[in-house]
Amino acid sequence: MDRRSWTIDEAEMRHWLQALIDGEMIVVAPVEEDGVVLFRPITSAEQAVVEPSGKTRWSPKEFLFPRSEALYRYRFKGDRVQLEDPPPVGRPQILFGVRSCDSSGLARLDEIFLSGTKDPLYAARRESTTVVSVACSAADAECFCTAVGGSPVGEEGSDFQLVPINDGWMVRVVTDKGNDLVGDTADGWAAASADDLEQTEKIEKHVAEQIERNPVDSQWSKVLEGGFENEAWKRLAEHCLGCSVCAYVCPSCSCFDMNHEANAWCGEQCRSWDACTFAIFTHHASGHNPRSTPQKRYRQRVLHKFAFREDEDEPFRCVGCGRCVALCPAGLDIVDTVTAAVAAIREEGTDAAC
Amino acid sequence: MQLAEAVPNPYQPSLMRIDGYSDETPDVRTLRLQFMDSDEARSFGGWKPGQFGQFTVFGAGESVFALANEPWRSNGDGGDVPTIECTFREVGKVTTALRSMSQGQVVGFRGPYGNHFPIDDWKKKDLVFIGGGIGMAALRSAMLEVIERKSEFGDVVILNGARTVGDMVYKTEMPRWQAVEGVEVVRTVDPGGETDDWDGEIGLLPNVFEGLELAPDGRIVVACGPPVMLHYLFLSLGKSGYEPEQVVTTLENKMKCGIGHCGRCYVGPFSVCRDGPVVTWAELNELPKDY
Amino acid sequence: MSELELAGVEGRGATSAPKAWRPHIVALVCNWCSYAGADMAGTTRLQYPANVRMVRFPCTGRMSPLMILRAFEQGADGILVSGCHPGDCHYVQGNLVARRRFTIFRSLLEFLGIDMQRLHFAWVSAAEGHKWATVVEKVTTAVGEAGPLPKFGAPDDWQGLDLPAVEGDGPPEVSSDELAQLRSNIRQAAADLLSSGQVGVVVGYRAASMAHQMAPVTITSAAEAERLEWGSGCVNNLSTYASSALENHERVALVVKTCDLGAVTGLIREGQLSRDRVLLIGVQCSGVSTGSEIAAKCLDCSGTPHPICDLVVTVDGILESPPADAPDGTDALDPRDEQIAHLESLPADERWQYWQRQFARCLRCYACRAACPLCYCSSCVAEKHRPQWISPAIDNRGNSVWNTIRAFHLAGRCSGCDECARACPADIRLDLINRKLALEVERQYGALGLDAEEKTALVDFREDDSEEFIL
Repeated sequence: MDRRSWTIDEAEMRHWLQALIDGEMIVVAPVEEDGVVLFRPITSAEQAVVEPSGKTRWSPKEFLFPRSEALYRYRFKGDRVQLEDPPPVGRPQILFGVRSCDSSGLARLDEIFLSGTKDPLYAARRESTTVVSVACSAADAECFCTAVGGSPVGEEGSDFQLVPINDGWMVRVVTDKGNDLVGDTADGWAAASADDLEQTEKIEKHVAEQIERNPVDSQWSKVLEGGFENEAWKRLAEHCLGCSVCAYVCPSCSCFDMNHEANAWCGEQCRSWDACTFAIFTHHASGHNPRSTPQKRYRQRVLHKFAFREDEDEPFRCVGCGRCVALCPAGLDIVDTVTAAVAAIREEGTDAAC
Repeated sequence: MQLAEAVPNPYQPSLMRIDGYSDETPDVRTLRLQFMDSDEARSFGGWKPGQFGQFTVFGAGESVFALANEPWRSNGDGGDVPTIECTFREVGKVTTALRSMSQGQVVGFRGPYGNHFPIDDWKKKDLVFIGGGIGMAALRSAMLEVIERKSEFGDVVILNGARTVGDMVYKTEMPRWQAVEGVEVVRTVDPGGETDDWDGEIGLLPNVFEGLELAPDGRIVVACGPPVMLHYLFLSLGKSGYEPEQVVTTLENKMKCGIGHCGRCYVGPFSVCRDGPVVTWAELNELPKDY
Repeated sequence: MSELELAGVEGRGATSAPKAWRPHIVALVCNWCSYAGADMAGTTRLQYPANVRMVRFPCTGRMSPLMILRAFEQGADGILVSGCHPGDCHYVQGNLVARRRFTIFRSLLEFLGIDMQRLHFAWVSAAEGHKWATVVEKVTTAVGEAGPLPKFGAPDDWQGLDLPAVEGDGPPEVSSDELAQLRSNIRQAAADLLSSGQVGVVVGYRAASMAHQMAPVTITSAAEAERLEWGSGCVNNLSTYASSALENHERVALVVKTCDLGAVTGLIREGQLSRDRVLLIGVQCSGVSTGSEIAAKCLDCSGTPHPICDLVVTVDGILESPPADAPDGTDALDPRDEQIAHLESLPADERWQYWQRQFARCLRCYACRAACPLCYCSSCVAEKHRPQWISPAIDNRGNSVWNTIRAFHLAGRCSGCDECARACPADIRLDLINRKLALEVERQYGALGLDAEEKTALVDFREDDSEEFIL
């Protein structure tokens, strides 16, 4: 596959974006609404907030994994039940302006929904979605992608990437889908030089320096798992309020609930976002709840993001966007928690990996 | 582009008709279900003991139950009609709705999900099945399979424990099991749960088990029951010299999707619906105490 | 917006007007008076429109706003609630409590953009068959004029609207030296309380990860007092943590701002906290912020600690009695009142669009509930599924019902600390909804102060409560 790359200016980027909007596919990009920058379908290129840095309030995962959707439907006909397919999904769409952490998050969702028994709704959307990502030339205050093995210029989960350089953009194909997207629009674009391509390394280094976090060591997973019963967890999660802001703004969280919603004539099995931080997430009908305190639930969240991996070469499930840190109403910081937990576990000597 | 046609929808159930039911206790019922669609019935691959299904009450929701009857195997000519049995307790929204349904009404079924008891590994071994309360339902499929193929296995002891006589399940079936040569059925209720005419044991399951003095050599213990019962039972088993690899159980956890996606049933890295629910005590020791 | 809405969910009350539209009206009627009255209308062969479906209850006192919301969410275009005349309630006072509830709930729905032609309340006695027919006639006509219920969903192509800017000076600023002094005094106060054994635990603020950000901290020894901080990042209402601190200790000291006190009082009033188990350390505050600007609630606040605090920490030191210029109550005006007035001046459908766009952002993370000190129910109504009043679907229907009920459950109780709005990751103006309800409660029944003996408005009633809108 031809990994072509070019340099374009802002006007050329907007022109291309407008051409995409005028085409067959829905274009979803960050827009500002009531002071909040969110991904929404757009109708004109000017609406899109595409900047060298700055994340949306939450990730664009809802365009592959909606907050709520029907899994199937049914009608009651006398004493019979007639099953129906859910509404059709998979209208071709472009997610434009996705940051590297968020596109990594999409890759984490792929691992859940496309492995084992494939989820047809997610699969249909994923297949008909093209991701145009934007690298970051600066970190937000809460960002820590480089501390968890990510990168501001990372291409994971992306089909086509924009990199901010020289007041314009270096743009490059990442996958076949990206190649198809740009098509022959690029015929008028200047090819990127080797210097241009090198800029991505400079950006990565600059952002890594901005991020004032010590890296999360891959070996810490085993330490955390070994210290499951450590008393430190109670203290570290003492003030968790049990909401689910962290899970819902997170690019890689994918837990969901399934509920029937019905009336006398028809109904549907509806899945909606859910979170392990909620009190009743693991509450059994018998009354038993393995995670009966907020501290146990927060421990699960941390371990799910930073431990419980098949092997240490796998990336963390946390992509380092930092939104949970910025938005937690109780000021909890997942990296601080992991660091403190590891220290406490090592001090007590209860870690398996020692 | 719609993949919905190419990839089957794992969330859509098969329609089943309630063929019949029997009430084990005032709040526990065993349902018998049959496929409404004859194509689905013909192409149904059956299940292995230990697997579970998601049962839908349209309008109310889904609930997980173990597949409780003897595993159905097609004899290849499509003549046999698969029947699915599940035993459930009325305890919440869905099970209450289910218990109010009558013969002929329609429910949904998704499955079979999960792994299964490694019954073939138990050949020639002596077996003990220990079921606490409705935990018996999760064992029934394996027990019936073993009883059917009794000559391939050693001695079989079935220990059925319940809080009270009224709570004991499968009361009418136990004489049939007892009647099979080499099968011994021991029933016990908790102290205070006996009736005047009770002729079984009285005592907590772990204590009654110890009282049976079954030597561990070459024996497999298959247990299922509430977490607190299993906890004490494992302590008893350890004291009696059983190795963790000899003890098999089936984990219960809150489950929704049944296929490893919704994230609810994780115990550490272990997804109960995808990697379990059948697990040995040894495997359980490797997992965090999060169940 | 979810696929659910894009596809136009059928069977959940599709609101597009098919063929010739006729209003769907649900009537919630009490068994003793209104149902009998309706029955009489029937037996006396009175003619009246047939668009009304009746649901019978023992009493209007049983009628929950959840039912009204559920009916709208499921596709009703209009709702009529009808019961016995005040004084005639079969259960003596059910309708008197209901009267206050309907008054406030009606104003809430109006604020959220529901045309009041759709929502009606009436007293119809068993002997008033004629009145029943007249009421139904009136209601049907009104709903007919209002048209089908507007769609739930973020409005397409709506440009939004501008609210007037909030104005106010805010409390006096402090220099960095003064701030350091305050910090030191807080630490001293906490250390003294812990070492003398007056309290077993202090809940205060610590530095968090982001610049200027603070987070709650719970300390149990004087040595830990060094962790306590003070600054513009001290946003949390620490009364949320009082109950859990008291699980292991006899007495807790809370570091509080004046805006936190309403919640403390509310918890005491509602039996969740004992006054003698809480020691309040009121601190001189120069306003809080989560971004670059001071919070709206601070703009009309002096920042001076309130007399109900047991200890008062100022730049000058730790006092056991309040300073001379201490406020004597909660502030009468709020900087948001102009924004509310502006919204109220708009036509209902524009307000509807405004709120539907806000609710379209709602993720149902329940941070609003988690951050609210007065949301302490061990099992929230949102989680009840027998029956499931509030749809768990994260779409505009479910979100509208959730946000409405959350606000209503706090009506008359909300202390205006704005923690819900601060915690909301979607910047939904929950503070406007709360303030609107507080204004309405105040207008009708008087303001709630910091007296824990006072009853909140919606658990009380008077014989002469207003019923201006009741047919």
